[in-house]
Amino acid sequence: MIFIQILINGLFLGGIYSIISIGLTLIFGVVRVINFAHGEFLMISMYISYFSHSMFGLNPYLSLLINIPLMFFIGMGTDQAIIRPLRNAPPYMQIFATVGLSIALMNLALFLFTGDYRAINMPFAKKVIQVGDIHLNYARLIIFFASILASLVLYLFLRNTDVGKQIRAIVQDRTAAKLMGIKLNRIYMITFGIGSALVGLAGGLLTPVYYVFPSVGFYFVLTAFVVVVLGGMGNIMGAFFGGLIIGMVDALSGYYIEPSLKEVVYYIIFLIVLIFRPSGLLGMVGAEEMGMK
Amino acid sequence: MRKSQLYLLGKPRYYSGLLALVLLLLFILFTTNAFYLNILFMILLFAGLSGAWNIIGGFGGQLSLGHAAFFGIGAYASSLLFVKCGIPPLLGVSASAVIALALAVMIGFPCFRLKGPFFTLATIAIAEVLQLLAVHFRDLTDGSEGLSIPFQPSLLNLTFESKTNYALTAYVFMLLVLGISSWIKRSKLGYQLAALAEEDQAAETLGINTTKAKMIAFLISAGLTAIGATIYAQYVLFIEPHSEFSISVSIDLALISMVGGLGTTVGPVIGSFLLIPLQEFLRGWLGGIYQGLHFVIYGALLIAVVMFMRRGIIAFLSDRYDRVISKLPAFLGAERRLARFPILDTDISSFLSQSSKVAEGKQEMQTIIEVQGISKSFGGLKALSNLSLSVEKGEIFGIIGPNGAGKTTLFNILSAVYKPDSGLVRFKGETISNLGKSHLICRSGIGRTFQLVKPFENMPVLQNVMVGAFSQERSREKAEGIALQVLDFVELANRKETLAHELTIADKKRLEVARVLATRPQLLLLDEVMAGLNPAEVTETSRLVKRIRDYGITVIIIEHLMQAIMSLSDKVMVLAEGEKIMEGAPGEVVKDGRVIKAYLGEGYELA
Repeated sequence: MIFIQILINGLFLGGIYSIISIGLTLIFGVVRVINFAHGEFLMISMYISYFSHSMFGLNPYLSLLINIPLMFFIGMGTDQAIIRPLRNAPPYMQIFATVGLSIALMNLALFLFTGDYRAINMPFAKKVIQVGDIHLNYARLIIFFASILASLVLYLFLRNTDVGKQIRAIVQDRTAAKLMGIKLNRIYMITFGIGSALVGLAGGLLTPVYYVFPSVGFYFVLTAFVVVVLGGMGNIMGAFFGGLIIGMVDALSGYYIEPSLKEVVYYIIFLIVLIFRPSGLLGMVGAEEMGMK
Repeated sequence: MRKSQLYLLGKPRYYSGLLALVLLLLFILFTTNAFYLNILFMILLFAGLSGAWNIIGGFGGQLSLGHAAFFGIGAYASSLLFVKCGIPPLLGVSASAVIALALAVMIGFPCFRLKGPFFTLATIAIAEVLQLLAVHFRDLTDGSEGLSIPFQPSLLNLTFESKTNYALTAYVFMLLVLGISSWIKRSKLGYQLAALAEEDQAAETLGINTTKAKMIAFLISAGLTAIGATIYAQYVLFIEPHSEFSISVSIDLALISMVGGLGTTVGPVIGSFLLIPLQEFLRGWLGGIYQGLHFVIYGALLIAVVMFMRRGIIAFLSDRYDRVISKLPAFLGAERRLARFPILDTDISSFLSQSSKVAEGKQEMQTIIEVQGISKSFGGLKALSNLSLSVEKGEIFGIIGPNGAGKTTLFNILSAVYKPDSGLVRFKGETISNLGKSHLICRSGIGRTFQLVKPFENMPVLQNVMVGAFSQERSREKAEGIALQVLDFVELANRKETLAHELTIADKKRLEVARVLATRPQLLLLDEVMAGLNPAEVTETSRLVKRIRDYGITVIIIEHLMQAIMSLSDKVMVLAEGEKIMEGAPGEVVKDGRVIKAYLGEGYELA
């Protein structure tokens, strides 16, 4: 029974990894940039939820109405200010730039808010419902269903809207997309915004159950790298399931092996994936330009 | 060979550098100011460490953000051997290096086969794993509390009473890294790395085992980093997982090279002289009062460098520096060397000519390449189905066909860029379709050009061709000789100093031919070398192809220009939708109804 309880805890927390990773993989698939500051965007979103709760008593789920649009614009701004001038630069230049942004933001938070671990006191987040012997935590339940909902919305968006179709066209063939009159820069910017809005969502959902501190994003983004590679670079569905898998691995290894070694376990998974199936679980084998299916 | 390198010291660039190093040494020896010596130690050490990073990150263009793994391992290995087993660090450093090498193999093996950011991610992951392990196994490492190293001054312990000796140790380390870097830069490996950093696939087809070259560079880089870490540990005498394995170490090493000049030998040294004092200053000035603020500036600086100074400070300085040193005199005969035309022991005809090989080989074997029943599909698209062909030695074999007929796919299969779904390719009687690696194909004697040219854009023309020549020669001088001869042969010698990206499209195509000729192919695959050229250039290129064939080199040529290909080829094959429509002498092909219909269109009349 304890095994199932742990599995469910992991699955629910995995929803967070899914949302963060979907954002990261979407940006990579379209803009072709690994955004190392992705985790810091999460951190910003968490601080927004934290402060709107502690200062104005705003429910963190309500503050999503601020987080999501704000992170959307921060994402678009990052793309235009930092990535756009580097579009034709070698990939490592873009990585350098986002690493710089990550360092600057993380330490700006350290400077402004100190390194204290903060948590909001929200009785609701600690409530559980009992199904048989299994305890289900409300906040985590919300995370899980929100991640499914977010993936679904994104899926429908990519499938049915004009912008979504343009995004998919770019992933398949950027030159052809450009020739068909798609404004690449605009789509890159919007995609960066959507990817960042997803961490805006993740930050709001995470705040009731997790500590907020300046380097919180670094921890989550490292996990997201593992998830993204596991699911297949640029593959949204892969990131969704990859997040849930890593969530469960996280919970199980934390209990059965050793809490301080759980990251080691999934980094080992990461290396195994790199050796045996670098295209990821859902990626097309051997495909260099990996699309989203 | 060794002796001939001595003239380099007579070059202004080299002796002025040497002079700077001597002055630096004198400064270390004669200053007694502990503050200066302290900062100098850090500058020199990080110049060395970043120089080590630069070997894979700059020369090889493989961005590692996990060199903290090698740094931490290096620091811990020698320190633990010292603290727990009493083995002095000067001996323990070899253990540091060996473990770092093993770790580099673990990372490099899975990643260097892959394209994309996998390597960067894997290096970060490894550094994180090691940090976690170092914290976890506290019985061994003393965990988060950190490991204190006893202060027992002696050379064997790399621990000294005087800061001067520390600065000297770091100086020696920096010299070691500089020496190795400049040796690599001038060697075959250096050219290979520069090539693969720019165009991985083109490098492979020029006979470079790119995986191996990256691996060697990574091993050297990792080993040197671990050595530097031992020196550092014996200086601070206290190490802990959260600083030694920290990602900020990795980023520092990358940033220093980046600021100084990525992929240059002295870039990391310049970067270190700028950044380390700046870091110390920011930390002292801001770090004490405002937590984190100095890192905010640091991060912003990183963005600024990438956006506004992509080639580093060195690009900014080197013009001025060049102007100054051009006024300095040269010694030791270097002035004569500067303008010297390398002496060749072989001339172009004996280099390219296949006749000697024919004479010694089996004369009766006339078919050089034989393709049997090749098929290749991409998803639902059948690019080639059951294609067979054979080409005689010394022939010019033309392939024509509409766009999408599978012509380039065929070349990609012949050069092992793709693996065929079925069928096999035999070259000189041996099956090559299972070799799987483009560089092996090149070494077996098949060279190719690309339809969309892939020159090494930021290298001069001569160096581009030298990359090809290195598949034949280890020595730089000989490779240069071959390259000059080949450039002369393709009539591009007057452009040898030009950067490849400044060439016209015609010259770029010519450069591709030169580069592949320098690999001494027996079979040459030319993919639309005439597309986009004006009539005069087409005539030139036709003449060039004939001259190449005159040396006995077999040529398979894909081309759309009917007139050119019909007059060039001994035999022509027509492809459409992945299948061979017909094959024969040019005269027969142009008259064939099916060909005219499929390729030239309905109602086409021959003039």
